[in-house]
Amino acid sequence: MRLRAGISAALASAAILLVGWQSGAHVAESNASAVTTSATGNTGGTTSGTGSTANGSTGGSASGSSSGTGAASSSSTGSSSSTGTGSSSSTTLGASAKAGGTYAGTSVETRFGTVQVQVTIKAGVITDVTALHLTDQEQRSVQISARAAPLLRSEVLSAQSANVQTIGGATFTSDAYLTSLQAALDAAHF
Amino acid sequence: MQPTSKPNEPGQANKEPRLRSRTFTSMGTVVSLAVPAAPGTVPQAAVEELEAATAVVERLFNGLERTFSLYRPDSEASAMARGELALADASADMRRLYVEAAEWRTVTEGAFTAERPDGVVDLAGIVKGHAIREAGTSLLALGLKDWCLNAGGDVLVDGSPTPGSARPWLAGIVDPEDRTTLLTAFPLDNKGKHALATSGTSERGHHIWSTGLKIARDEGFRQVSVAAADIITADVLATAIMAGGARTLALATSHWDVDVLAVKNDGGLLATPGFRNLAPQNS
Repeated sequence: MRLRAGISAALASAAILLVGWQSGAHVAESNASAVTTSATGNTGGTTSGTGSTANGSTGGSASGSSSGTGAASSSSTGSSSSTGTGSSSSTTLGASAKAGGTYAGTSVETRFGTVQVQVTIKAGVITDVTALHLTDQEQRSVQISARAAPLLRSEVLSAQSANVQTIGGATFTSDAYLTSLQAALDAAHF
Repeated sequence: MQPTSKPNEPGQANKEPRLRSRTFTSMGTVVSLAVPAAPGTVPQAAVEELEAATAVVERLFNGLERTFSLYRPDSEASAMARGELALADASADMRRLYVEAAEWRTVTEGAFTAERPDGVVDLAGIVKGHAIREAGTSLLALGLKDWCLNAGGDVLVDGSPTPGSARPWLAGIVDPEDRTTLLTAFPLDNKGKHALATSGTSERGHHIWSTGLKIARDEGFRQVSVAAADIITADVLATAIMAGGARTLALATSHWDVDVLAVKNDGGLLATPGFRNLAPQNS
């Protein structure tokens, strides 16, 4: 799952997120393996619509770190400014990061599920961000895991009017109420 | 999780919470207020408390209906529809609600709108939700902790049907194919989503309009239920998704913390994870 589409947006927000990254404890040891990111979205380009998204990559940029700025600006992906990145660099990872390579982040639990990101760095520039673990098996982007997906009727909670306390439905008229399940419940609750 | 799985288990019928409810007619539909009928409470006092609370809610609904109903020639809304009253000269309530509806129109990209195709301002799509919201505020102000308010199939709850417990109110959702059966149920959890609104074509479909959105019949929805923290968000988004189709559904789930169950015209379901049955399956 390539996140290219999302990267530019992601980098922009990465700048912001990195502030948090910096202040937080650093996972990055000399071996630079811990790139990762917190962040929910990642997701990549995620789907259309929405916008925002982003986040995910964060970690990515962090990694880039050392080379920092370079990463951000160059951003092969295009656009995105994200100055912030540079700063993070200071913290940095080991020399290996500077040289480049592929780094896998640790898995992070988010409200959308478990997320892990792999970042590829070449000459200090993030060239690719890949989501390794996504919430659903189909490897769809994570951000939209809260989206509405096709569901079989057998997959929803089965219910009978005897087991519920109220009934939701498209607005019924006063007349339609008389023959409605809600009317039966109300009568039973007298 | 535990509470939602409970109703599936046989032999638990006697543990179902006992409720008491009262109803009244307003805004062209029937409104029910239900509260737990806890054993140990003095029956007469509890009944009087419920009836007093119902009277408060009824007064509130009827007051809003007098202002906003287009079915009443003497309402402020009707005066505006006839061009006798400009929005700028309307009551504070009217202007506030109009502004709120206009904001929803913007954030739903036109899928929700308070203007009929003929240009008449019609706040019907938001008035009932507004009434439920105001009623909920009144019930809290009255000191009621556990209640379930259902206005024509839109639901707002607080507390639990079993006072003092974490058990959620369980709201069944009517199957649009057969109004006498339930499609599923959604737990209205005290910690999160207290409101459930459903919009559909099966009952009163005519108050949904949208601006410039044309949806092919077979890719549209027959019924849309939205659970949210508040009733306005649930109600407006259910209406908007009905009008705007899949595009608005994607917009809603990515911008708001809501759960959505949409029944497509072909009978298929689209649902967010909150509608998935999380109870352990016997396999």
